[in-house]
Amino acid sequence: MTWSPKLATGLGLAAAIVLFGLIGPMLTGDPATIRDIGLTPPGAEHVLGTTLTGQDVLAQLAGATRGSLWVGVLVGVMATVLSGIFGIVGAYAGGVVDEVFSLFSNVMLVIPGLPLVIVVAGFVPADRRGTWTIALVLAITGWAAAARVLRAQTLSLRTRDYVAAARVSGEKTWRVICVEILPNLLPILASQFVFAVVLAILSEAGLSFLGLGAANASTLGTMLYYAQNGFALQREAWWWFVPPGLVIALLGGALALINFSIDEIINPRLRDRARRKRDVVAVEAEVVPVDPDAVLTVRNLNVVYQAETPVHAVKDVSLTLRRGEILGLAGESGCGKTTLAYAINRLHRPPAEVTSGSVTFEDFDVLALEPDELREFRWVRLSMVFQGAMNSLNPVTPIRAQLHDVLRTHRPGMSTPDREVRCAEVLRLVGVDPARLGAYPHELSGGMRQRVMIAMALLLDPQVMIMDEPTTALDVLVQREILNEIKRLRDELRFAVVFITHDLPLLLELSDRIAVMRDGEVVEYATAEDMYLRPRHPYTRQLLASFPSLTGEAGALIT
Amino acid sequence: MGYYLRKLAFYLTALWAAVTLNFVIPRMLPGNPVDILMAKLQQRGGSVDPAARTAYETLLGRGGRESFAEEYLAYLGNLLRGDLGVSVSAFPAKVSDVIGDALPWTVVLVGLATLISFLLGVGLGAVVGWKRGTWLDSLVPATTVLSAVPYFWLALILVALLSSQLGWFPLNGGYDVVLDPGWSPEFIGSAIYHGTLPALTIVISSIGGWLLGMRNMMVSAMSEDYVLTARAKGLTDSRIMVRYAARNAVLPSVAGFAISLGFVVSGSIVTEQVFSYPGIGSKLLQAVQNNDYALMQGIFLVITIAVLGANLVVDLLYGLIDARTRDRSTVS
Repeated sequence: MTWSPKLATGLGLAAAIVLFGLIGPMLTGDPATIRDIGLTPPGAEHVLGTTLTGQDVLAQLAGATRGSLWVGVLVGVMATVLSGIFGIVGAYAGGVVDEVFSLFSNVMLVIPGLPLVIVVAGFVPADRRGTWTIALVLAITGWAAAARVLRAQTLSLRTRDYVAAARVSGEKTWRVICVEILPNLLPILASQFVFAVVLAILSEAGLSFLGLGAANASTLGTMLYYAQNGFALQREAWWWFVPPGLVIALLGGALALINFSIDEIINPRLRDRARRKRDVVAVEAEVVPVDPDAVLTVRNLNVVYQAETPVHAVKDVSLTLRRGEILGLAGESGCGKTTLAYAINRLHRPPAEVTSGSVTFEDFDVLALEPDELREFRWVRLSMVFQGAMNSLNPVTPIRAQLHDVLRTHRPGMSTPDREVRCAEVLRLVGVDPARLGAYPHELSGGMRQRVMIAMALLLDPQVMIMDEPTTALDVLVQREILNEIKRLRDELRFAVVFITHDLPLLLELSDRIAVMRDGEVVEYATAEDMYLRPRHPYTRQLLASFPSLTGEAGALIT
Repeated sequence: MGYYLRKLAFYLTALWAAVTLNFVIPRMLPGNPVDILMAKLQQRGGSVDPAARTAYETLLGRGGRESFAEEYLAYLGNLLRGDLGVSVSAFPAKVSDVIGDALPWTVVLVGLATLISFLLGVGLGAVVGWKRGTWLDSLVPATTVLSAVPYFWLALILVALLSSQLGWFPLNGGYDVVLDPGWSPEFIGSAIYHGTLPALTIVISSIGGWLLGMRNMMVSAMSEDYVLTARAKGLTDSRIMVRYAARNAVLPSVAGFAISLGFVVSGSIVTEQVFSYPGIGSKLLQAVQNNDYALMQGIFLVITIAVLGANLVVDLLYGLIDARTRDRSTVS
């Protein structure tokens, strides 16, 4: 693991403060010693000055830091144990136990913590309020949020195969929890512990500042309490008031930085990433001799993922898509076919970059379009249907809004009733009842969602439609229906299609021409018939041979 | 059971738990609050008739003359009638009247500050997430450090700098005391003027949490397929950011409102104390310092009900902004 600057700063700061709390009190002398040099500003004798009664602020700060850390750790441990019991055990046990535990956690979560702590502290006589009492109360009011997170994680973990396997093999419950589940929860537990410590130190400071903290304890909160009651700020003795708060803030900041890093370990998407300034590096100004029948021409296109070791995902690909043609793009996962499709529409994301080549649409260069021109090009000329319509539709708005969006952006003059008519029209084209316009994506079946996506792609009568594995996630019957739909629509509306799939036999049946990709290169590019009858490249033959039922029986394939 | 019914049932359970907690706490903890209260009452010249004692015993326990269950029922009955007892520190005012006077101040201050903080934090978080990789990224650690600063410490520093040194804001209070409370423009102006610094404190310390949460969700949402679809559709960047990415990314922030509101309310109690703000937080501390147990309990109850109510409203709104939750059958 590389050390991010955040983690290093966070750990460094936290370590410095903890060391200060541990070792400081031994070096700085007795914090309680009273001298007759009250409110001396910081100087050589007293590095951080003195309090009203002449006590050394640095010595007090060291002792108070130790006190606060102690409370923080006490609460952190207790709260983590509590959240573990209610979150992990509940979720693991399931059923009534889970219901009750989860209800209890949620109730504790919505009851505001500090007011409750204040009330409890108010009832306990001051002389019986010890550090442990305060820590216990803070832990009891502070574990619930963590329990909720742990429960959600445990619920997803307990359905994993290795946990199921351990359960089936008859391992004891506590063993399964400790051996199979806990290790996977460690990053979250660590982050929750850190969070609980910060929260406890903050809450304790608040309580002590209000004079409700533990009796005889010396924490950063009590220090602030005395500073405030000694009118430190009014007397401009900032050296007495500022340091304790600053230590809390720095510690909190340091632990927050550590938490960021833990988050980034759990969720790599959050990691820092330099913003890409360009998606296309070198646009070749060569004038491509345009085939009058071609709608989309790709020449020597190269796409590279600029990682530490650059990955050349698309190598010198040249393709021509003619009007009304279905071009199949076949290849196994990771061969670069999706990257190619995205690059054609410049949808590739960093660190992917187009390093050379050209993409010509009719007579203009797509790679040279300015952002606004590109926006106007997309969907109007070239629309896309993505793999897994499950996630391609915005889950929180009805499909009406997502269809209208397209028209509102690209046909600003269109009235709302006209838009509605057009949306209903395209839905009918793909065989979806226009009454479903008000439905949310989750209310539609997978096949239905894919049809809606195709309808959306048809909205603006584009010349080209790129379909990236549009039927892979669907069952065979629905797949068949949708493929027939695509062919019918193509025949009716005469748009060209780039159809991407790993399923070569399917392409043989559907496409006019096929390009087979392997490791970023087009290894064979021919008409469907040629490819079926006379495959030239060994890889193509291999792909064909991997579908035995098809090689055995010829003839019924090409319609 | 529908989504709304389930939510309502949950909050009723939480309310019952809070009410019961309020009943149990004084009975479980050491000390004898009733005796302390009676002594206080005597000092203030209050009547020490048996009726007053019985009333406090119902509230705080240690009566010994009724069974636990009877006491509990009597306590619930009093609550239903809105009878929270008599305040000792503001004798002879009723607890409900003391709370009634203080509550609007807190609701307006904390409510507005929370709303501003939420909107600002979520808005900034959305932009920071969207423009990831630019200088805006440094806002995240900066605001997080601010949210690790103790509320009261920040408040006092702000007072020292902006009020004492620069004289921009009043030192404390909720309004200019020479004015009569009412709906006059002068009074409202004065209330806004006095409330600015406390509100600023709350916003500064709580904005970091909203910002961080929103930013992280935004980053996750931006790699979702529906954002890719939106880009392919040629929508404008602002539309993709707001309608697609942010619209989805904001859901957890709204769902997590409960947790955040708890922090804000806790922080604002201490903030009110620092500013001697005439709200419910300073009343709670006044009650604690004066062993005014009846007022203490009443305020805890009211704060809890307010927090529960705010969360209920947010949860109901959540059902509106995310249709999926309405159709889900399990309680999350």
